[in-house]
Amino acid sequence: MAFAQVETLANGLTLAVEEQPWNPGIALQLLVPVGATTDPQELEGAANLLEGWLWKGAGDLDARALAEAFDELGVRRGSGVGLEYTTFAASFLPEYLDSVLELYALILQKPRFDEALLEPVRQVALQELAALEDQPPRKMGAALRRAVFASTHGRYAAGSKEGLTSATPEALRADFQRRYGAKGSILAVAGGVGFAEVREAVERHLGTWGGVAPASPEPVLTQPQAIHIEQDTAQVQIGLIYQDVGPGHPEFYSARLAAEVLSGGMGSRLFTEVREKRGLVYSVSASPQGVKGFSYLLAYAGTTPERAHATLEVLRAEIERIREGVSEEELERAKIGLRTALVMQEESARSRVGSMARDLFMLGRIRPLAEIEAEIAAVDLSRINRFLADHPYKDPWVGTLGPKLAQRQTQNA
Amino acid sequence: MQRAATTLACKEAKLPNGLRVIAEVNPEAKSLALGYFVKTGSRDEAPAESGISHFLEHMVFKGTLRRDALEVNLEFDRMGAQYNAFTSEENTVYYAAVLPEFGGRLLELLTDLMRPALRQEDFDTEKNVILEEIALYADRPNVMLFDYARSKFFRGHPLGNSVLGSIESITAMTREQMAAYHARRYAPANMVLAMAGKLDWPAMLEQVAQLTADWQPYAVHREYPPFEALPGDVRESYPKATQTYLALLAPGLSAQDERRYAAAVLASLIGEEGNSRLYWALTHRGLVESASAGHDDSDQAGLFYIYAQTDPQNEAQVVDILREELNRLQAHGVSAEEVRRAKNKLATGIVFAGETPLNRLFNLGMGYQYNGVYEPLSEMARKVEAVTPAEVNALLEAKPFSRGFLYRMVPPD
Repeated sequence: MAFAQVETLANGLTLAVEEQPWNPGIALQLLVPVGATTDPQELEGAANLLEGWLWKGAGDLDARALAEAFDELGVRRGSGVGLEYTTFAASFLPEYLDSVLELYALILQKPRFDEALLEPVRQVALQELAALEDQPPRKMGAALRRAVFASTHGRYAAGSKEGLTSATPEALRADFQRRYGAKGSILAVAGGVGFAEVREAVERHLGTWGGVAPASPEPVLTQPQAIHIEQDTAQVQIGLIYQDVGPGHPEFYSARLAAEVLSGGMGSRLFTEVREKRGLVYSVSASPQGVKGFSYLLAYAGTTPERAHATLEVLRAEIERIREGVSEEELERAKIGLRTALVMQEESARSRVGSMARDLFMLGRIRPLAEIEAEIAAVDLSRINRFLADHPYKDPWVGTLGPKLAQRQTQNA
Repeated sequence: MQRAATTLACKEAKLPNGLRVIAEVNPEAKSLALGYFVKTGSRDEAPAESGISHFLEHMVFKGTLRRDALEVNLEFDRMGAQYNAFTSEENTVYYAAVLPEFGGRLLELLTDLMRPALRQEDFDTEKNVILEEIALYADRPNVMLFDYARSKFFRGHPLGNSVLGSIESITAMTREQMAAYHARRYAPANMVLAMAGKLDWPAMLEQVAQLTADWQPYAVHREYPPFEALPGDVRESYPKATQTYLALLAPGLSAQDERRYAAAVLASLIGEEGNSRLYWALTHRGLVESASAGHDDSDQAGLFYIYAQTDPQNEAQVVDILREELNRLQAHGVSAEEVRRAKNKLATGIVFAGETPLNRLFNLGMGYQYNGVYEPLSEMARKVEAVTPAEVNALLEAKPFSRGFLYRMVPPD
């Protein structure tokens, strides 16, 4: 089974490489811990604007020349801003590794930040924000997270209208200098390439990148509460957030397996009880999520207004009932489900670099797949059931979005 | 580092009942994927059957004479299968990936499912799930946009039929209609069983021959009415939209036409994210939230599609620029450089499309369904590589975008 080698370079950049000799391509992910949680108070959305502005030219290359340089190499690239970090992802053929790193080094170290090109970046960001109105599940999710966190973790990753509108070029340039640093950033590479070759190329191009990225703030929670957003939608959106144990906890894999019993496959409890038996929804799920310092179980269902009350009731009851324990057969299915997902993730370099970078960010190390397999195998029935009895899912934050009718119904829940 | 040569072997067979079986065997893979590709979709539905192909796809998972719905779901989960199904205008596909040791068991399950019991009670429950899915998409203007745009563009041609159907057509649908549709469309000769990854070909082939020994052979008919695209521009308000959504559809090449590779290159240089004509004309200038283009090759027909999402106040300007760009493209053709760059990116995409057996399966099954030949990804990459600027310009000589149909979805006044 594959194994990622990790080394922290002299400038503090963490490099992780997983050699996949069978793979004809290379996938790369650069994670810079610059996200909404560390956006300055008066500059919500700065991370989002910076990510867009960075693509508008670097060094001698204007925006078009930069894009064409990537295309000449046949690079498939993407970038995005989240709550806690910005990622730059690329996939390409091994012979272009050196040239690809050279381009990213240029972007990180010599961005042009042309003032005239900030305005269009701002316009795109504002339109993205406005489009949230046409995406009810995302809108509900954003509102629910805002209700859960008293800290900056409750922000919307793309920023606020005020922050996006008021950001000046000077403030953004200063913010870039302050937050975009090598120390604390992570570069994950997987594919048909060796560690030494990658290390040498990274040293050559990113060895002189300096600076220190910001530390992650501590999440602060509110008291569990229910919120409702009124909107004339065809479906009511329902979200629940339950406190859960995180990857540092000794029973982390018991919790992962419990989430799998709840929502792993189509034979899982939520799918069976909410959709298959009752036909209440098209989508229902519960998945382990987290920010650095706080892990939670996020449950979701979407249903038409007349069924909203019943759906919320069944959803909550099924999740909270798991404190009574799971069966031997459920545990077996959960184990094979998790194991299969692991093996299949390893087959794709693109998904592998994503989890390598995230592991390094959240845990400071990459969990070898063999270790995860052993941890999963070590959870037996009495252990998981003892854990579930001691750590029951209860007192969720509840978010709903939909027509007025649903509000009356869900408040009775 | 030495790059390992992947040893892929292609196998194909036709069973006495007419079922075609194709496999791409890779002993190095860590998983295997199987799929039934049924040549049926909304284009094959009578008006009273609108949405029946997709509803049937759901009902297939509700059990057979030997298994009820719960047992189907549990059996998938016991194998840790990653599985799903989808329905389009002309294909219904059931697929799953598992660890190699479960290959035979998965084949038995998927094959059994192709002869569903269609029990009345399940039919009634699942009807609610379908109605929920219709409600889900009603809340997403960017999805509804293409349903409406296709219906206007195809003007009564069956490729304009909605996959989901309507609340009215689904509500009125009976189990007997579905049984008749299944009997008419799910003939062995109308299906392809595709396999990819680590598998034992002789054993799998023998097993599927036994499992389908009682499937009766018969012929299935598909209508190919003539279609001629006509220019048009329709603007309609949608109550749930706050942004403006534009779809421009224009005649393209069919899945049987070798010029579809040139069409893919053309679509890429028109609308690829990050570097394309529309990117520089619209996104880079901050006029849209996003703009993209693609080419969709169907059975004996095809279309180019262009999508843009924008702030309502930009609508007129965006439409003007869009038309201007397309007119300029048709008048002056493409440059050798932009063709080369678009090809590079497409070629890298094809390399990564082959990372996992599940990804390879779709290419394998679709290609065989349309053309009856095995076309490996390496051959697709070669054909993309061979596209010349002259071939792309030849497509533009027919002035496809002058016959394009523009559909605008705008917020209510």
